[in-house]
Amino acid sequence: MNRTSQTLALAASSLLLLLCGCGQKDDAAQTRADNGSATAGAANAAGGAGGLSGAAQAQAFYAEHPEFFHFKTVADIPADLRWEDGAGLPEVGSPNAKKGGTLNTWMQDFPRTLRTVGPDSNGSFRRWILDDVTLGYAHRHPNVTELREDGFYYLPALADRWALDRENRTVYIHLNPAARWNDGQPITTDDALFSFFFYRSPHIRAPWYNNFYGTKYAGITRFDAHTFALHFHELRPDIYSLALGLSPTPTHFYAEFGEDFTERYQWRVAPTTGPYTIARDSDIAKGRSITLTRVKDWWARDQKHFRYRFNADRIRISVIRDSAKAFEAFRKGDLDTYGLGLAEDWYDKLPDTAPEVAKGYIQKIKFYNDTPRPTYGLWMNQATPLLANRDIRLGVQHATNWQLVIDKFSRGDWSRMQTTADGYGDFTHPTLRARGYDIAAALAHFAAAGFTRRGPDGILVNDQGQRLSIQLTTGYEHFKDMLTILQEEAIKAGLDLRIEILDGTAAWKKAQEKKHEILFAAFNVGAEMFPRYWETYHSVNAYDAPFTADGQPNPARKPKPQTNNLLSIARPEIDAMIEAYDRSDDLGEMRRLAHRLEEALYDDASFSPGFVTPFIRSGAWRWLRIPEDGNVKIANSFEGSHLFWIEPELKKETLDARKSGKTFPPAIRVFEQYRKP
Amino acid sequence: MALNPLTLRKLRRFRSIRSGYWSFLALMALIALTLGGELLVNNRPLVIRYEGQWFFPTYGANLPGTTFGYDYGYETDYRALRARFAAEREHGSGSGATRREARAARADNWLLMPPVPFNPNENAAYEGVFKPAPPSWLGGPPGHWLGTDTTGRDIFARLFYGFRTTILFALAFTALTYLIGIAVGCLMGYYGGVFDLIVQRAIEIWSNIPFLYIVIILFSVIPATFSIPMRIAMLLLIMVLFSWTSMTYYMRTATYREKARDYVAAAVVLGASPARVIFYHILPNTISTLVTFMPFTIASAITAVTALDFLGFGLPPPSPSIGELLKQGTQSLTTAPWIVGSAFGALVSILVLVTFIGEAVREAFDPKKFTTYQ
Repeated sequence: MNRTSQTLALAASSLLLLLCGCGQKDDAAQTRADNGSATAGAANAAGGAGGLSGAAQAQAFYAEHPEFFHFKTVADIPADLRWEDGAGLPEVGSPNAKKGGTLNTWMQDFPRTLRTVGPDSNGSFRRWILDDVTLGYAHRHPNVTELREDGFYYLPALADRWALDRENRTVYIHLNPAARWNDGQPITTDDALFSFFFYRSPHIRAPWYNNFYGTKYAGITRFDAHTFALHFHELRPDIYSLALGLSPTPTHFYAEFGEDFTERYQWRVAPTTGPYTIARDSDIAKGRSITLTRVKDWWARDQKHFRYRFNADRIRISVIRDSAKAFEAFRKGDLDTYGLGLAEDWYDKLPDTAPEVAKGYIQKIKFYNDTPRPTYGLWMNQATPLLANRDIRLGVQHATNWQLVIDKFSRGDWSRMQTTADGYGDFTHPTLRARGYDIAAALAHFAAAGFTRRGPDGILVNDQGQRLSIQLTTGYEHFKDMLTILQEEAIKAGLDLRIEILDGTAAWKKAQEKKHEILFAAFNVGAEMFPRYWETYHSVNAYDAPFTADGQPNPARKPKPQTNNLLSIARPEIDAMIEAYDRSDDLGEMRRLAHRLEEALYDDASFSPGFVTPFIRSGAWRWLRIPEDGNVKIANSFEGSHLFWIEPELKKETLDARKSGKTFPPAIRVFEQYRKP
Repeated sequence: MALNPLTLRKLRRFRSIRSGYWSFLALMALIALTLGGELLVNNRPLVIRYEGQWFFPTYGANLPGTTFGYDYGYETDYRALRARFAAEREHGSGSGATRREARAARADNWLLMPPVPFNPNENAAYEGVFKPAPPSWLGGPPGHWLGTDTTGRDIFARLFYGFRTTILFALAFTALTYLIGIAVGCLMGYYGGVFDLIVQRAIEIWSNIPFLYIVIILFSVIPATFSIPMRIAMLLLIMVLFSWTSMTYYMRTATYREKARDYVAAAVVLGASPARVIFYHILPNTISTLVTFMPFTIASAITAVTALDFLGFGLPPPSPSIGELLKQGTQSLTTAPWIVGSAFGALVSILVLVTFIGEAVREAFDPKKFTTYQ
């Protein structure tokens, strides 16, 4: 699941890469795609009335693929399975939470579809109807993030128990009989099977899903209406994530499934397993806003882990195209919360002395999370003449002043990224430290590469008169100023970085064609169990024919386009470790391999780790309450975990106070329990 | 060179329109100043006297810190050097005679910085971080007359060099569009017939291509392997390519009109070649209409390049530009109003100067000389 999600990132633009959290959580959520409002009754999978209904098509598909879809009885379930139900895990959320109220928030663009799969569906709105709110079979516990033998700790969602049969690489799942779609239909095993028809269908026009559902799973077995099993080709430590992270697809809703799926279901609201839906047509104001309503009698509302979450009755998401305007709307009180991630927003636009903050109307919240970090840094392409030389790469490492960027640009808020995979707990190398800015060291390395004297402009030149000038490409316009700081500092070390700011898609395309020299970019990563190396560092993703028969670098090799090996790194020893890592089913061994891989990559010096943002910062009006511990450990946004609640009396009190000038104690809250030293 | 008495009269008339004339002088003075800008706005000193040697670093190669006894090999931080010289003058070191000698030698060390001692690209931290600093007269750090931008670069220096790039760009743009526009327009008017018909249709099609989008698309795919001046030249070329058409309409009609006059027929009868007819007879008689357009073309070129910069498709970073400052300014309107204030003020002043000149030129070249200029 993890790997395929990165393939998704690869296929899509760098925008997607960064803006949409697409990683494991996302996949799991994405795989839960569904659609439209409960219309057109008819056929369920078992009934299969009418040749054209979705259910009937699914039945035909099952019959065509007997190697994948198996039908057995409860008696075939092994008796010695060790069922788990996630009992005993600490509950998520605050018991003080109250239901009610409306959350006002914003988005930059109106979604182009309400589908959650197919063209245009992977936009920033999707999290409101899919990623953050729908239920899978079981969810990774967002606070208990330690690893055990079978992977993460899971808390029950649609499933009430599950079991792993290691020998047969199979996960058994038992659905909670109480589970219902929001239209009242029960959620059954047939909906689970239907997913494997739906997501493998060409009609959804989503090749990533087709591939994911077609290759990651070896089969599915139905035992009864509430019990099924998923089979796998191999036993990886994240097998539970692949199985439990899925979610069912409402068979009854896709009765009209067919070739015109993407148009037919474009604006239909699908039944959901989660607490929020778009209840009325009037809640969709095209181009202006969308309002979500909490599902009445949601089946899981009293379940442990869900009873204190999803508290707002309504969530109104308005379209505001300009972030500066959204900020003003927040300050006025039209929006309840606003992300203050930028240093400028946190310190200058809404300083602690701002009247709304000083008078206690707006809370400023800084929450340190602990989750894998996007890989912001310089990706040096070894397939280019200068950077093929390791001394030049080492020189560039020492000539980039990330510390100055962190101290002066982010005002000390960011921290230095140290490896290629920070934030993975034990999997992150414990002692490796990224190279610091050191002019003398940079000059020594450049000199070793033949660049010994400075030209009239202070840039090093070699004996052939070639200047040490390297192009630095990026698609992140908002980091332009930061790059000019690196550029000015690099000149001191005799290195000329020519900055190229491209449109996000253009920059990503250039990098995918391996035409960049240095790329400043980041791969976004979900809250996954362990980092991936194959996509980014294996030689098959670097060149068409990386090595000659005797294992030497092939002089005629050509960079391979459309892969994530942006470094064009091809080293047999790294390949061997990656292959062992990807085959391994032993977490301990994988951890050791990951550390050795990091050391090899450090030695290779083609990735200059940049910075990590170890926190979420937001502003929230006083009536928006949050639990004692702030948020969940793997949170990636203030509202995404839906732990907040709204106090209508406080809202009235605060608005009155604003008129009368009454003040409250200022609330600047910092949650540091997950902060890494 | 003897000028045509008619032209002289027009020039006298232009001089008599005070606002236009003074604007013209001011703009010329500004351009002249910016051409020697490195002597006025720069972080390199004009003159350094160090241990008996003279240095003039403004236009030369960069002088590493080691030249002045520092231990680094990159370009000297001259503002620090100035502070060091000043400190050395105050407290000499050593003792007795040597101390006096040392002091005497050191007292000879001095340097002269330009009036604005900042480079448009250098980041200066304010209160320890890179953030906008208010102008010095509003309590900001000394020396930054208009404050600094979001990464601590001096706004005056950026406006100064931004103006230079913009105005040179606009002048080159005007010259090129006129060159192409006049040539094509004259040919169409002179030859007429099928040639005119075909070229006219081609121009109609060409001018219907939405200019801004094409510039954005083309400019985003230009490989950045080119140097910054090269990229600016390409931007210029693209803009010219889509802007020369409007000039052809005026030239074409003017040429048609002049061609029908007797003096052209006389010239043809006398055996003048088409080139001679066009350049010696027709062009001088049509040029006065064109001249009046020129300032407005310049104004629109300035606006266009500023708009492109504002949208992020203009001059490549870190080139200083007014549009880029305007964009920064609108993003930090509440926290750093001086950014947008300076950029807006500068843009308006330039456009006002150019427009005054344009109005005056139009008035001076107006054949109906008794109309009043309002």
